Amino acid sequence: MKEEKTLAERLRERGVTRRGFMKFCAATASMMALSPAMIPRVAAALQQAKRPSVIWLSFQECTGCTESLTRSHAPTIEGLIFDHISLDYHHTLQAAAGDHAEHARDEAMQENWGKYLLVVDGSIPLKDDGIYSTIAGITNLAMLKEVAAGAAAIISVGTCAAFGGLPMARPNPTGAVPVSEIIKDKPIVNVPGCPPIPVVISGVLAHFLMFGRLPELDALNRPKVFFGQSIHDRCYRRPFYDRGQFAETFDDEGARKGWCLFKLGCKGPITYNACATAKWNEGTSFPIEAGHGCIGCSEPGFWDKGGFYDALSKGTYGSAEGIALAAGVGAAIGVAAALGSRSRQAKADRKEEV
Amino acid sequence: MTINMEIFQQFAEQLPHLGEHAQPPQMTDAARVETARETFVRKLDGRMAVDLESCIHCGHCASACHFYVGTEDPKYAPIRKLDLLKRVYRRELSPLRWLHRLYTDDITVKDLQEWQELVYDSCTECGRCSMVCPMGINIAGMVNVMRQGMARAGMMPAELMAMEQEQGGHDSLFGVGPEQMKGAIAKLQEAGVDIPLDKHEADVLVTTSVIDIILFTDGLIATARIMNHLGLNWTLRSDGYEAANFGLLSGCERVQKIASEKIVLAARACGAKTVIIPECGHAYPSMRWEAANEHGGKLPFEVLAISEFLGREVKAGRLKLNTLGRDRKVTYHDPCKLARHSGTIEEPRWVLDALGVDFREVDSGRELNWCCGGGAGVFLINSASELRQQAFQVKIKQVEKTGADSVVTACGSCRLNFMNGSMRSNWDKGIESLVELVAEALPTH
Amino acid sequence: MTLLDFARGPALEWSLIIFVAGSLWRLVGALLVRRKRDLSEPRSRSTVAGGIRTVFSRMFPRKEFHSKTLFAVIAGYVLHFGLAITVFLFTPHILFIDGLLGISWPGIPNNLVMFAGVVTIATLVALLIRRMTTPLLKKISSADDYISWVMTLLPVLTGMMAYAHIGGPYQTVLAIHILTVEAMLIWFPFGKLFHAVLWIPSRAQMGAAMQRRGVKA
Repeated sequence: MKEEKTLAERLRERGVTRRGFMKFCAATASMMALSPAMIPRVAAALQQAKRPSVIWLSFQECTGCTESLTRSHAPTIEGLIFDHISLDYHHTLQAAAGDHAEHARDEAMQENWGKYLLVVDGSIPLKDDGIYSTIAGITNLAMLKEVAAGAAAIISVGTCAAFGGLPMARPNPTGAVPVSEIIKDKPIVNVPGCPPIPVVISGVLAHFLMFGRLPELDALNRPKVFFGQSIHDRCYRRPFYDRGQFAETFDDEGARKGWCLFKLGCKGPITYNACATAKWNEGTSFPIEAGHGCIGCSEPGFWDKGGFYDALSKGTYGSAEGIALAAGVGAAIGVAAALGSRSRQAKADRKEEV
Repeated sequence: MTINMEIFQQFAEQLPHLGEHAQPPQMTDAARVETARETFVRKLDGRMAVDLESCIHCGHCASACHFYVGTEDPKYAPIRKLDLLKRVYRRELSPLRWLHRLYTDDITVKDLQEWQELVYDSCTECGRCSMVCPMGINIAGMVNVMRQGMARAGMMPAELMAMEQEQGGHDSLFGVGPEQMKGAIAKLQEAGVDIPLDKHEADVLVTTSVIDIILFTDGLIATARIMNHLGLNWTLRSDGYEAANFGLLSGCERVQKIASEKIVLAARACGAKTVIIPECGHAYPSMRWEAANEHGGKLPFEVLAISEFLGREVKAGRLKLNTLGRDRKVTYHDPCKLARHSGTIEEPRWVLDALGVDFREVDSGRELNWCCGGGAGVFLINSASELRQQAFQVKIKQVEKTGADSVVTACGSCRLNFMNGSMRSNWDKGIESLVELVAEALPTH
Repeated sequence: MTLLDFARGPALEWSLIIFVAGSLWRLVGALLVRRKRDLSEPRSRSTVAGGIRTVFSRMFPRKEFHSKTLFAVIAGYVLHFGLAITVFLFTPHILFIDGLLGISWPGIPNNLVMFAGVVTIATLVALLIRRMTTPLLKKISSADDYISWVMTLLPVLTGMMAYAHIGGPYQTVLAIHILTVEAMLIWFPFGKLFHAVLWIPSRAQMGAAMQRRGVKA
C-alpha cells in the first residue's frame, strides 16, 4: 500500500497554490449551497483528506459516464481530486487486465473492508440468471453483491446505475435493473444524468472526502444540492415560456431568437439536474442553450416518457384508432339502447290495446 | 258589447260546485301508478327524450312563468312539473337507464297526488317558459303528457273531470248539448240574426263554444254578421259546433278524439273547405295541430282561428272596416294558444290597424306575451283561485304600463279570466273581443 | 410507473375511450327514441332554417327576459369564456390537442391565461354560492349540479397550482391536474356537463317545431 499523502500535499506537488486551493474551496462550498462561513471548514477538511479506496464497477453501460468525468481539455481541480482518490479498480482506466486486475480488486477489498467507496455505472441485467453481462465469467449481479458487502457507501453514477437507464427502456430485453433494486442494506447515492455533469460527481466525492458522509438526498436519493431544482425553474429561457413565445422548428425565427423549446419536446419542467446553472464543459453551455430541448436524461425512465421531440403535454396513450373504435362501440350501444326503449314502448302500446 | 251579467253571475256561482258532478274512477293505488307510468312510456318521444336529457337547472323557466313570478314560490318552477315524467323516462327509456335505475325512484301515488297541483292548478301550458329556456326545452308540451298520465290514473281535478266526462259521455258542456244549441240558434234567428244552421253544403263551417252560446253571445252574433257581410257560403252544424275540447285540456285522449272528430265529420258532411274556430284558446290547437294526428291523416279542410281569418280578409282587401277612432286607446293580449303556440300574431294586428284605434303594444307581447293565467282549464279549478289572482297581477301591470283604456283579446277563456280577475282586483280597464270590435266597425249597407 | 406516467398513459387512454363511447351512447340513444310524424298542415316548411336559427338565438335571452336572467347569463358566459381561454388558448394544451387530433392554433401569453383562470374560479365560486343560497335554485338542484361543479373546478384549480408550482412537487401536482381532467372526461357523458353536446339538438328541435308553427323561437 502506498504512503498516504493528504490532498493538500498532492495539490501542492502539482503546483496548485494555497490561493488557488482556497478559490476552489469557495467555489465548491458555494456550489453545494454551503454558507461562506463554511469555507474554512471545507478547506481544512480537504487538506486533511486521506485517499479513500474506490472500487469502480462498470456494468451494462456505454462508458459515457467515465468519458464525461475524464474528458478535460485542461487539468481541473475536479480532475485532481479524482486523482486523489485511490482508484483501485476501473476497467477502462486501469492498466491491468485479466486475472491481474481481478486480483487487484480482491486485494483492495480485503485491505479496506468496510471503508471503501463503491462506484457503479451501468445497469445490472437479471434475465436468464444475469448472463447478459459478465466480467471474467462473473455476472454483474454476483460481482455487485460481493463488492457491495464491504463497501462503506455506494455511488450509482449515471442514469443506468441510478434508475436503469437505456438498457431498461421498453422492452427491457436483458431484465436490467438499477443498483438500488439489488442492494438494500447500504447507503446509496444516485448521481443520474446521461451522462452526469462532471462537477456533480466531483462535488459528491468532495462532500464525502470533507465530511466523511454523503450529502442530503431527495426522495430518489439524489443529492438535493444538485438535483433539487428543475431545469425549467432555472432555465434562462423561462421568460419566453411565460410569454408564450416558442420555437416551432429548429431553424425558425423563434429558434434563432432563443425562444422556449417546449414545443420541440423540452422535458425541462419535469427534469431535475444542475444543467441550467452549473452547465457543461466548465460552464460553457447546456443543451437548451445550444438550441436543443432537454431530454430529461437524469429522470427515471426518460427513454419511455414519449418522444424527445414530442411536447411534454402530449399524452403517451394508445392510438387514434382505439378512440375511433370506442366511438363506434358507443354509437352501437346507443342504437341498442334505443331499440330496447322502442320495444318497451311497443310493450306499453300492446298493454293499452288490451 | 253586452254580456248577460245575470248569466255571468250564475256561471260564477256554479263554478265552486262544478267538481261535484265528477265521477272519479275507482282504482287501486297500484293501478293508478301503473297506468300513469305506462301512459308516460307510450307518450314519450324522441324530442321529449332529448329535452329531458338537457335541463341544466338554470331556473330561467321560473322567471318567465306568471305563477312563479306572482308567488315567488320555488315549487312552481316550470321544469319541476315534469319531474315524474322525467323519472319514468330515466328508468324506462333513457339510454342510460341501467345507471339511472340505481338512484332514481319509481313514481308513487303520493307523487301523483302532489304533482296534481303543479300540473293543473299552476300551469296553463302557456309555453312562455320554453321561450327563455337556453336549451329550448318544450315544457308545456310535456306538461300535457303529464296531464295525460294523471288523467288515465283518474287523478285530474274534479272540475276538469266533470267537464270532460260531460263532453265525452253526454255530448254537452255546462248542460248545453246539440238540442240546447239548436234552441239558442233558433232564438237568435227569431231575433233577426241571420245564422244558417245544418246546411247540407257549405264552403265554411263555423264552430262556436258553449261560452259563446250562453255568455258571449255577441261574439257569435258578430261572427254571423261578418260572415254574411263577406257573402260567404257558411253554416253552423248541430252535429259539430263545439270547438272547446276538454279532452285536450284535461289530458283525456279518448275525449279529445271524440270532441275533434265531431267537427271533422261535420265538415266532411257539408263539404266545407274551411273550418273557423271561435275566440277560444285550446280549441285552435286542438283542430289546427292535434286533429290530423288524432285522426290519422291530413285534414281535408283548412283550419283558421276567427282572428286569423279576419286578419287575412282585411289584408287581402276583402273586408273593409270603418275606423273606430283614435280616441280609443287599446292594447292587445295575445292568447298563448293562438300566438306562441300557433303563429297567429300579425293577423289580429292587421285588424286592429284597420280599426284605426290608438293601439299600443305591451312590453312583452306577441310570442312572448304573459299568459292571462286562466288557460288550460285553470280558470275552472277552484283550488287554483288564489294562484290565478296572484298571477293575474302580472297582467294588470303589463296593461297599465301601456296607458290603454281597454285590452282586446281573441280568446274566450282569456276574456273570462280577465273579467274575473278584474272584478276581484277592482280593475277599471275595459275587456274587449276582437271579433265584436270588427262587427262594430262593419260598414252598414 | 410514476403517477405522472399513469396520468399521461393508461388513465388518459381509458378516460378518452369512456368519454367518446359514453357520449355517443347517450346522444344516439336519446336521438333514436321513437318519434311520430306530424300530419298537421305546417305554417312554414323552413324547419331546418328555423332549427339553425334557434341554435344561435338562444345564446342570449330576448330583452323581455333580461331583468330576471341577465346576471346568470353574463356570469355563465364569463365562466364559459374563461374555461375556453384556459383550455384552448394555453400553449401546452394546444400541443396536447395537436398530439391527439393533429390540429393546432396560436396560443396567448401564459399570464393572460392565468388571469382567465382566476376569473373562471371566482365565477365558479360565485355561481355555486348563488345556487346554494337562492331558494329557487336550491329547490331544483340535484347532486348532479354539485358533482359537475367539482369536476369543472378541479382541473382549473389544479392546473393553476401546477403552473404556479404550489401544492407539492411539480410532477405530482401536474399528474393530479391531468387526473382531474380525466375524471371530468369520465363524468362528462353521464351528468349535466353533457349539455355541451345537447344544446345543439335540443335548441334545434325547438326551433324547427316553432318554425313549423310559424313562430320565431
